[in-house]
Amino acid sequence: MTVSNAGVTAPAGPALPVRQASGKRSGTRTGTTRTSMRARDRSGYLFVAPFAIATALFLVVPTLYGLWMSFTNQSLTGAGSEFIGFANYAEAFSDPQVWQTLWHTVWFTILSTVPLVLVALVMALLVHTGLPGQWVWRMSFFVPYLLTSAVVWHLSNWMFQPDIGLLDTWIKGLGLTPLGWLTDENVAMFSIAGVTVWWTVGFNFLLYLAALQGIPAQQYEAATIDGAGGWRRLVSITLPQLRTITGVIVVLQLLASLKVFDQIYMLTAGGPNGSTRPILEYIYDTGFTNYRLGYASAISYVFFALILVFTLVRLLPARKEA
Amino acid sequence: MTVLRGRGGPGQGSPGYVSRTRSRAESSGGLSRRDLLRAALVGAGGVALGGALAGCATPSAAGSGKTSVMIWDLFAGGDGALMQEMVGAVAAANPDISVESTTLAWGPPYYTKLAMASSGGRPPEAAIMHMSRLAGYAPGGLLEPFDLDVLAQLGVREEHFAAAVWQKAQYDGQLYALPLDTHPYITFHNPTIVKDAGLARADGKLDLDAVAGADNFLAAGRAMAEVTGETGVGWGYQRDPAGCWRMFWGLYSQNGGEYELTPGRPAALDEEAAAEVFEFLQAMVDGTVAGKNQDGNAAAARFMSQRTGMMFAGEWDLPMFRDALPDVGATQFPAVFGTPANYADSHAFVLPRQGTPDPAGREATYRVLAGLLKEGLTWASAGHIPAYQPIVEEPAYQELTPQRDYAPAAEIAVFDPDAWFTGGGSDFQTRMADAMTDTLAGEASPRTAVTRMLSEMDRFLALPDPA
Repeated sequence: MTVSNAGVTAPAGPALPVRQASGKRSGTRTGTTRTSMRARDRSGYLFVAPFAIATALFLVVPTLYGLWMSFTNQSLTGAGSEFIGFANYAEAFSDPQVWQTLWHTVWFTILSTVPLVLVALVMALLVHTGLPGQWVWRMSFFVPYLLTSAVVWHLSNWMFQPDIGLLDTWIKGLGLTPLGWLTDENVAMFSIAGVTVWWTVGFNFLLYLAALQGIPAQQYEAATIDGAGGWRRLVSITLPQLRTITGVIVVLQLLASLKVFDQIYMLTAGGPNGSTRPILEYIYDTGFTNYRLGYASAISYVFFALILVFTLVRLLPARKEA
Repeated sequence: MTVLRGRGGPGQGSPGYVSRTRSRAESSGGLSRRDLLRAALVGAGGVALGGALAGCATPSAAGSGKTSVMIWDLFAGGDGALMQEMVGAVAAANPDISVESTTLAWGPPYYTKLAMASSGGRPPEAAIMHMSRLAGYAPGGLLEPFDLDVLAQLGVREEHFAAAVWQKAQYDGQLYALPLDTHPYITFHNPTIVKDAGLARADGKLDLDAVAGADNFLAAGRAMAEVTGETGVGWGYQRDPAGCWRMFWGLYSQNGGEYELTPGRPAALDEEAAAEVFEFLQAMVDGTVAGKNQDGNAAAARFMSQRTGMMFAGEWDLPMFRDALPDVGATQFPAVFGTPANYADSHAFVLPRQGTPDPAGREATYRVLAGLLKEGLTWASAGHIPAYQPIVEEPAYQELTPQRDYAPAAEIAVFDPDAWFTGGGSDFQTRMADAMTDTLAGEASPRTAVTRMLSEMDRFLALPDPA
């Protein structure tokens, strides 16, 4: 990595002397015999080892152990670890709660992903057109993303609080009927999606902004010379150039939204009447609150399989294109 | 962020463009090595920190020569500070023990953490548990029974507890919970508003006869609403599964309270009686007697700012209410229906099963717990009714107001139904509250809530008992 990097970034400026030095050092090494080459290869494994061990310990082993548990009636209390075949899976497929909560997760994903992509794009375009006070805009759009979910919960809780919350107080001040922001089944998911958009849109905004800055200026210059106006440049240059990054953002966002748990758990705990309970909360409730680890693992694997299939369907055509 | 700061001027194709790209290349090139090393260091530090955190539960107190006793509790309210005070007193009396008390957020997460710590073999030496959760914990092997002989040596015996409470603490003929208190769900009132509404007795306290019976209660609520100009009674049911369940189960018990929750059989409630409870609650949550769309915080805020005359809440809220209303009154739950009954639960100490039992630690734990029981007077000032009767019989306790005014609640206490899935902070309470919120909000009929509750109960009864 250092060798190739040095080649590319060497002309870039102040970093030059350092890069050259490192390039030289690597160069002398590659010039020696084959054995030392292998030694260097082995040292590569050493560098990868911490990550590999951590991944094995905290990702691979638990994932496989979870797969095993999904075929047992393992309880959190330690009781019961008999192999029961596909009984948990059979129960999961016939459990209406699984499908209901899965739909809540999908509904949240739809409600959050669309604005999270569109709003981020609009915000990035506005900032990129060169509003005065650039850094203020960039910061205020991005800063909410840095907040932890607990802080977001506190802020939105003050706003949405039934009866005495900020929004209800304003609405009552205007003489209107207060809305059940978190307590009306038809409204609660929209409120949560709204908070999520405000909270996490900054990341997508950043990706879009970076992509906008990567569009070669010559294209705009040429278009301007040919007499293209601002709108024409946006539709014919900017948006087509953003196609790749949009694909990345959509996939990242879908995966992030499908994992929704904390803000819902803290704001409504799945209520009112279970209308916002996402599938991850159902898995959590089943496995940890009701101790049925085996069954909870089975639901997790059903959910995992669905996401995997979805991702493959989404990614395979993209790979062919490339 | 460096990437962003590099971008200054407006528009495309401005002369600044070239320098911008260059600065980006620099920063991305500079990222490669030093930052990687730094990140690796930070990562390694994280792993080390994780190791240190994992070591938290070890009963060592290394170097100090003291035996360490860790106690988990769920007293995040005003009572938590008093528990710390009691722990401090007990620690001072036992200089050879270092007592560490950890307060965790109450509710399902607390019991999840406790169960996981126990099944992981490294739980705290002792923990607080709602007695209503014992049925789900003791049979599962997550707890160890108390040694009665050791307790007796420390002056804690069966005769020091009310028979019913002692009985509830047993499983399979052994004592699994050491009762600390009984904590009923009661009513607080603002004496001034109650008096202005004509609901006070000669001594200025709420006249329980004036709020007995559903019609009387609603009329009293309207009278108080007239005084405050807002609402009469405070009750937060939104986003508060425990509050919904306490209210329903208390009133349902007043109205007969028959139930059957036997695994393998369909759940049964007296549906007529349950529907009557919801009819009453719907009539109460009408925007005048009680606020329409309130949660516990909103109701408490209105009560403390004197915009509501009366408030349904747990007695553990007493320290908070007394801060705002020094002369706040409290009574047992009004007799809305015929049979006297008052929903209550009980905090108890339990001994989570240790992976590697430590006799010295166990001995110290017994001494600490016995000491905490005897600090019951402090505990009573938090509002709780001490379970350790020698405290209750002390004249000092008898003089505590308003504690003595709601002490009768303990005599008519009804606890959660007996089943492995019920109890404080259980998923069962959440599901029951889910089933009733539409009805409470006036969007479904009383019968709907009953039907939904029964079908949820059936779902729980069909689940295998994980213990």
